[in-house]
Amino acid sequence: MTQTARGWGFVAPALLWTFAFFILPLIVMGAMSLATLDGRTLVWGLSLANYAELAEKAYLWRAILVSLEITLTVTIVSVLLAYPLAWIIAFRVPKRWQRLTLLLAILPFWTSYVVRSYAWLLVLAREGVVNQTLLNLGLIAEPLTLANTRFATITGFVHFFVMLLTLTIYANLIQLSPNYRRAAMDLGASAFQTFRHVILPLTLPGIVTGAFLTFVLCIGDYVTPQILGGNTELTVPQVIMVQLGRRADFPLASALAIVLMGIVTLAYLACARWLRLDRI
Amino acid sequence: MRHALPWLYLMAAFVFIYLPVAVLVLFSFQDGNLPVPPFQGPSLRWYADILGDDDLTGALAHSLLVALGASTLAVVLGFLAAYGLARHILPGSALLRGVLIAPLTVSYLIVGLGLLIVLTRAGLGLSLLTAGIGHVVINLPLAFAIIYASMGAQQQNAERAARDLGADEARVILLITVPMLAPAIAAAFFLSVTLSWDEFIIAFLLTRFDVTLPVEIWSMLRSGLSPRLNAIGSLVFLISVVVVLSVELFFARGRRS
Amino acid sequence: MNRLPSFLLCSAALFLATSPATAQQELNALVWCDHTDPALIEPFEAAHNVKVNLREYEGTGAALALLEQSRPGDWDVLVIDGIDVFRAVEGGILAPLPEDALPIADFFPEVVMAENNTVDGVTYAVTEKFGYNTISYNADKVDPADMQDLATVWSETYQGRISIYDYYLPLIGLAAISAGIPTAEIGADDLDAIGEVLSTMRGRAASVAGVVAAQTALATGEVDIVVGGGEWLTAVLAEDQPELTWTIPDQGAVRWAQSIGIVQGTSQPDLALEFIKYITSPEGQARLATSSCFWGMPANAKAGEILTDAQKAVLRWDEQPGYLARTQLYPAPDTDLDIEMQDLWLNTLQQ
Repeated sequence: MTQTARGWGFVAPALLWTFAFFILPLIVMGAMSLATLDGRTLVWGLSLANYAELAEKAYLWRAILVSLEITLTVTIVSVLLAYPLAWIIAFRVPKRWQRLTLLLAILPFWTSYVVRSYAWLLVLAREGVVNQTLLNLGLIAEPLTLANTRFATITGFVHFFVMLLTLTIYANLIQLSPNYRRAAMDLGASAFQTFRHVILPLTLPGIVTGAFLTFVLCIGDYVTPQILGGNTELTVPQVIMVQLGRRADFPLASALAIVLMGIVTLAYLACARWLRLDRI
Repeated sequence: MRHALPWLYLMAAFVFIYLPVAVLVLFSFQDGNLPVPPFQGPSLRWYADILGDDDLTGALAHSLLVALGASTLAVVLGFLAAYGLARHILPGSALLRGVLIAPLTVSYLIVGLGLLIVLTRAGLGLSLLTAGIGHVVINLPLAFAIIYASMGAQQQNAERAARDLGADEARVILLITVPMLAPAIAAAFFLSVTLSWDEFIIAFLLTRFDVTLPVEIWSMLRSGLSPRLNAIGSLVFLISVVVVLSVELFFARGRRS
Repeated sequence: MNRLPSFLLCSAALFLATSPATAQQELNALVWCDHTDPALIEPFEAAHNVKVNLREYEGTGAALALLEQSRPGDWDVLVIDGIDVFRAVEGGILAPLPEDALPIADFFPEVVMAENNTVDGVTYAVTEKFGYNTISYNADKVDPADMQDLATVWSETYQGRISIYDYYLPLIGLAAISAGIPTAEIGADDLDAIGEVLSTMRGRAASVAGVVAAQTALATGEVDIVVGGGEWLTAVLAEDQPELTWTIPDQGAVRWAQSIGIVQGTSQPDLALEFIKYITSPEGQARLATSSCFWGMPANAKAGEILTDAQKAVLRWDEQPGYLARTQLYPAPDTDLDIEMQDLWLNTLQQ
């Protein structure tokens, strides 16, 4: 047996698995998006009717916009909140407490994901903790409507992704040799200049990789907007589940899924320069 | 003041991160039918209630089964692929790596939807097994990436030495590569278990009678507001924390020795 | 690293632990969540020494797709929305039901619903439970008199204090009733008028909510009214917060009903029939009516002999004749109209 053949032997199982259960389903889904429903009978074909519907029906293209707006907001806010947190843990917290602090910061990651959204519903409710606290502090006179809004969806998402991003950004920050900072300072750079010209560029691949994963997970999530969002605006995954539920409209659901993949691909291309997916 | 700022931020962040957990746990001890203020209690009745619920405890066992099974397979496949790509020269290896990583860039919902279409068209019944297949798909790229990233020259030298001493490839892998990569393999396995155990949408689309815990919790959620949800959520959190802390201690000791 | 093998052993042990110890007869049922209550299922399992496997589903389409792609014999019993029985029959999914074997004579006459459960003279399903999609509200916060007229329910007085139940068929039914259109006669021409009502409703609402979100919103004072609610929504809340109640407005409201039938191709039709007999028996009906997932009126009036007075009070047993007379079954559109209705609904939500 040649070396190469042996090599293939090792890679083959994983590759076959990926082909059979990932690539093949995507191809079938692509074909499905070109099929149509006649009543409840599936008609295979090469019809673009489902994609045309995306443009024609207001609730479908609005769903795409809503998904994009929410996902971009979540990604940006999460990075902006997580970076200082990771920074403080990496550079301010004494070394011996760092691991513990980091672990504590990401521990709620392990609460059940479905329950976590539900818990936010209780926190943000009219008589929930947030409103009660604000009322007691005299900051507001009337309880705010927080639950069942886009704000609630975004809060639920940000909570989850801040934990994820704190972890990835922290891992990046501690890999930086302290010499870089010292050298920059010695050369007369201010703290901000050091950050802007030294630390940030060095940690950018880590940030972008984390942000990209946030984007992928967030745009495809059904549970958080379904529980927290109040359904007054629907995201693409919610619309996909509606199509599957009442009418079992697999063709339209597939077309929506393909569009979602297209958006993720665009996001991938936009940040491909910095992405290190095989070095997580 | 400038020095206090980071600590204030840290505190604020912790309040934000623990707010839902605190409310969840507090109202799991509610001595009433609704997990909303005012707090009455404490009472353990909802814990007694969920522990006596066979569907829930069954779902818990199913979740463990799927998580352990899918993670084991994902780690084995991921390890073999990482070894093949790191130790053998293959044409188009960058492309192969790309294909193996690709599922990471696709939403779970789409992975689940695609599998649902193909599996049902193929006439395969849905079960925990099909949910497990889906979980291997999402965990394989992570396992592969983590193990591949930790394959360095250090192990290669040890492997070469072993081979020079007459060991065949299977022995080299089992006796040299796997032990040397143990931390990465364990990390990949642990991450896989974490993700698979709590995964909802794929399990929701691909199971039939036996469901995993997140799916069972979802149907509880649809059936109405109840402190039972708080109790099961708090219990899952407690179990997870114990596991996470033991893993952390295990690794911490490993680092020191 | 001796850990992987031990994990393998662990999962093998778990697998053994979760598979049934003895080969037992099994009945596979595709159901709504109220059927998963052990208090309902266990007596049947014990009496017939069978294991009942239950799968919940969320939408008729999903259930029908699942059934069509299954092998004959995979499923034995189906619980389905009363208005969708004809869809299942068209798809060849339901088998004829020997109605003589079932206590239909004891049913409330209004809910026998032969026009839904019978196709071309053949009965394919029987009604098992019903209730109302109407107005749930907080009696301390709103004027109960206002709740008797649909027009004042979603009037400006209650701007932002309303949640709409997230299911388009009953809500379109309610909108139609308020516009004076009988739900059974809704056609494509009526959708503009209905759409206007839905728009007003949506404009007044703080949220569009599923069961838990609607209950949370009511219980925490987020909203004071749930349009589309009913006994199934407020029954579990009433024990702690008796001010949360429901009513049927003077114009009437929408009635929901669920039916049960035998799946075509079942390998054990006798057992499936036994199950349906049990569910429609007074004992089964009483347990189904008070199931942990949601409460609703039993179709079989004889269940009244078994339900306690407290349970009957929550179900408003004594008021049923009036309610039945004033309510209409929710719309049962054909495929095309269904698509238009759903589009109308989703467009209204996404305004």
